[in-house]
Parts: sequence; structure tokens; C-alpha cells
Amino acid sequence: MLAFVMRRGLGILISTLLVVAITFILMQLIPGDPAAVMLGSNATPQQIQQLRVSWGLDQPMLVQFYRYFVNFLHGDLGQSLFYQRPVLQIIGQRAETSTFLGIMALLVVVGVGIPAGVISSLKQNSLTDNALLLVALAGASIPSFWLGLMLMVVVAGNWHLLPSSGFTSVLQTGNLANLKNLILPALSLGFVNAALVARTARSSMLDVLRADYITTARAKGLAERVVIIKHALRNASIPIITVISFTFASLVSGAVVTENVFALPGVGSLIVQSVLKRDYPVIQGIMMVVAVIYVLVNFATDLTYASLDPRIRYH
Amino acid sequence: MSITDRKPEAQINEPTFTKRLFDDALKFMTKRKTTLAAVVILVALLFVTACGPFIAPYGANALNLADRLQAPNSSHLLGTDNFGRDILSRALSGTRITLLLGLSISGFALLFGLPIGMLCGFYDRFGMVVMRVVDAMMAFPAIILALALMAIFGKPGVLNVIIAVGIVWAPRMVRVVYSSTLSLRENTYVEAARALGMQSFRILVRHIAINLLSPVIVQATFTFAFSIMEVAALNFLGVGIPPYIASWGGMMNEGRTYIIRAPWIILFPGLFLATAVLSFNLLGDALRDRLDPKLRRIM
Repeated sequence: MLAFVMRRGLGILISTLLVVAITFILMQLIPGDPAAVMLGSNATPQQIQQLRVSWGLDQPMLVQFYRYFVNFLHGDLGQSLFYQRPVLQIIGQRAETSTFLGIMALLVVVGVGIPAGVISSLKQNSLTDNALLLVALAGASIPSFWLGLMLMVVVAGNWHLLPSSGFTSVLQTGNLANLKNLILPALSLGFVNAALVARTARSSMLDVLRADYITTARAKGLAERVVIIKHALRNASIPIITVISFTFASLVSGAVVTENVFALPGVGSLIVQSVLKRDYPVIQGIMMVVAVIYVLVNFATDLTYASLDPRIRYH
Repeated sequence: MSITDRKPEAQINEPTFTKRLFDDALKFMTKRKTTLAAVVILVALLFVTACGPFIAPYGANALNLADRLQAPNSSHLLGTDNFGRDILSRALSGTRITLLLGLSISGFALLFGLPIGMLCGFYDRFGMVVMRVVDAMMAFPAIILALALMAIFGKPGVLNVIIAVGIVWAPRMVRVVYSSTLSLRENTYVEAARALGMQSFRILVRHIAINLLSPVIVQATFTFAFSIMEVAALNFLGVGIPPYIASWGGMMNEGRTYIIRAPWIILFPGLFLATAVLSFNLLGDALRDRLDPKLRRIM
């Protein structure tokens, strides 16, 4: 297991280096001189030159990249052009909303997707199965932001059940009731991905339920609940976990738009604002942070596989 | 009985290639109700794209302030927005730009994905390096990369959206082509071609490329579905195509201020989008099952 972790760990390092390199190259494509952009149109050529020297922009490209990577490893993602503060600090302030939203959406994905898939597989070709399949099919094609807007109209606008927008920090106020504001966003974000998980859980369970060891388990008189949960679901779980790990990227993508819809102060709305303001350091900071988290999530998924299925460790 | 003994009549009754293709397509479409529904919707979308301006009751950008924020009624079937523009006419006009963008983005992904994926799958060393970069590009969630690229391009525009979203989906195409090439090159006929002294490039074109058709068609269909969803998200966020071109995402964005008073401004473009995405997803599923069931594992 240790060798497995070490091997994958090296992979993470290479991936991180490449992620930083891609971000660096992309940012070289921005038309114009970053120092001139930073100082605005009233800057004198001397001021621009000074800033170029202090940022190391007069150095060769490889030296610049080396510094960039070292700074990244030290957690220095540069300064925001708009807020005039360190990028990491700004992202940190927005992280709480996005984290809570992500966790709640993931609860919807797992809590709705897996049971729906399992029920569907146990009642294959019944009315329930067909109805669930139809909902899953439609769910996978609905844009999450549209679903969010519609939930906003009906649940918040017509029924006045839940707040329609905004979010105040739970960690600072200690008020868990604030999470109510995230229910609609999490539902709209989670539902689309739950549909995908349900489809995978269904087909994966159907494969497993035909296996001999399920018949054996039933024949030796185990309770149906034990057969389904301990014997079937565990063996069906690898494809399900793969899809759930895929949903990370899809949840992040969805969150960018969902946070915008519900006016949530998260990282997703930060990147949209930064794009509109051309605040490039913040954009690249978010890109790198999100991509590195993605790499780590994949790593965690690999470890989960290895602990679920010992055969994987030796590949 | 040898082949030459076969009666000539049997050959006359043999269906022609076109007939066989037609029968095959018909069987494919009618085998599942969902596939038939998807094809019908796609034909309708194509019809709207071709004849949109002739069947739309009003101009997509025709202002009529007297009729602003009208609920769906007999003269405005899907209602009007805050400028009195007809939602149906705008949604129909949005169909055209959506299909154009979806097609261009899938084409872009194909243009880069096919050659890069084939070369990576065929030449191990090249593949080892390039696939690492491709995987790293896929570490950026789709919308984040697209947003960053739109910020770099500096301004909204149709071509910019095609390139930005195309760059997002090309690596995914590379992945599919790469893994298919890896398995194709192990086939005996590739070995035979090599034994006969055929050059690598010719093997790639004559034997590998032709067999990549199925996975590539399937992936392109899914790329289409995902990319129109992503384009709608970019337009919704106001960083996609310019606002003077009516698009489903843009319409939903403009309707947000009036969401409680006039939810139909958002409801209908979203339904158009969901229907289009659904039909491409259904078609993709059906094509995958028809062309190559093994693909289920790599996609």
C-alpha cells in the first residue's frame, strides 16, 4: 500500500507542476503588458519599467516560471489588481460559502443518487424503475442554473419557504440557520449530478445482482438488507465512486453559475467578477487552487479504490 | 456447393447499399422510442435553424414597449420580455446560434483531438508526454477554463467562444481517440499491414483512422450536448457572445431582474436548451450502443 501511495504521490507532483505551467502559459497570452495594465493609463514609462523589474518581468521566461512555481508552493499567488490584496487571502474569504455549498450538494448527490439507483435496480423494468430512469435522463440534461432559477421562483417566490439569495458566514456568526440559504442552491446543483450517479448505480447494481455470490448469500438465509448493502452495494461501488469523483469537476463548474444565480459570496462568483474586471491574478489563482484540489480528489479516489479492492494496489 | 454455383437471381434481389443504409438507419431510430423522439426533436431544431426567420412571428430584436412583460397569450405564444420582444421569436433565433456554436465547437475538438489522440496512441513516447499535458488540462473544471480563456481573449464574441469552449473539450476528445487507438493498434490487421511493409503513417490513416469513426462520432455527439450547455452558461454569466445576438443563455440572464414578475422569460429558453441537450444525449447513448457497446467503459 505504501508503494502505491508513493507512486501516486509522484504523479500528483507532476500534475501540479503541469497545472501551474499551463496557467503560467495561458497568462502569457494576455495581450498587453501586465505592469501597464496594473498601473492604468496615467503611468509613466519609468513607473512601468520599475514595476516590471520588481515583478521580475524583465527576466527570461524560464526564470519567471521558476519564481512563479516557487511562489505557488509557498502559497503566494500574487496580488489582486482590483482589491490590492493577496489572492490567496481573497480566495480564503470566499472558500467557506463554496465549501458548504459543495458539501451540501454532495449530500444531495449521494443521498438521492445512490438510493434512487439501488431502488431502480431492485425493481428492474417496473413502473418505479421507468419513472426514476426518466427523471434521471431529464435531470442529466437540465442546466443547473435554470433549475436553480425555477426553484427560486416557485419555492422562494411563490411559497416563501426558503430564502432566495445571499449567505452570511456560519463560522463567524456561529448561526447554523444560515445554511438554510444554501438549500435551494445545493438542491439545484446536486440534482443534476444525482441523476448521473443514479444511472451508474443502477447499471452497476444490475451487473452485480446477477452474480453467483448474491444467490449464495440469499441461499444461506441472509436478510435481504444485508445481501443488498454488504454484498451487492460494496461490489457495485467502484463505478459509483468513479462517477461521484467525476461530479467534483461538474459540481465546481455548476457552482460557478449557481453562486451567481443565488448571489452567494463564494469562489465561483469571485471568478466571474474577476473575469468581468479583468483581474487576472485572481483568475489564475482560482484556476490553480481548483485544479490542485481536483488532482487531490483524484488521488483520494484512487486510495478509496485501493482500499475497496485490494487487487488494484498491485497494478 | 461453391460460390460460382449460386443462382444469378439471388444477386439481383440483393438490396443496394443505399437501401441497406436506409433500412439500418430506420431500424436504429425505431428500435427505441427515445431515439425516435431524439431524432424528431433534432429534425425540428434543424428545420427551425433553416427556416427560423420565416416562421418566427416577430423579429428577434423587434422592440415593442407597449407589449412589454406580457404573459404567454395568443399574439405572443411564449410571452414578451422587458423590451416587449417576443420570446418565441428570440428562442427560435437562439436555436440557430446554438446549433452553429455546438457544431463549430465539436468540429474544433475533432480537428485537434483526432490527430493528437491518434499520434499519442500510436507513438508511445510522444503519447507519454502529451497525454500528461492533456490530463493536466482536464484538471481545470470546464467552466473555469472557459471563463479564464474568455478573460484572456478580452471581449465577448462568437469566434472567441468557439475557441474557448473548443479548447476545453478538445482534451476530452484526445482521451477518447487515444484510448481507442491504443486498443486498435493491437489488432491483427495492423500487424499484418506492418508485416507487409506498410509505413506507419499509412497504417494510421488507412487502418486506424477509419476504425475510429464510431467512438469519434459518439464523443462528438456528447461534446455537442455538453458544449451547448456550457455556451449557455457563459452567455448567462454575460461573458459569452455579445448581447445583441439572441441566445438562450443570454435571454435567461436578461430575464433575471423580472424573474418573479415574468418567469416565462427564463422558463422557455431553458426548456429549449434542456430539450436540445436531452436529444443529443439520447442520440449519443443510442449511437454508442449501436456502434460500439464496449465504449460504455471508456466514456
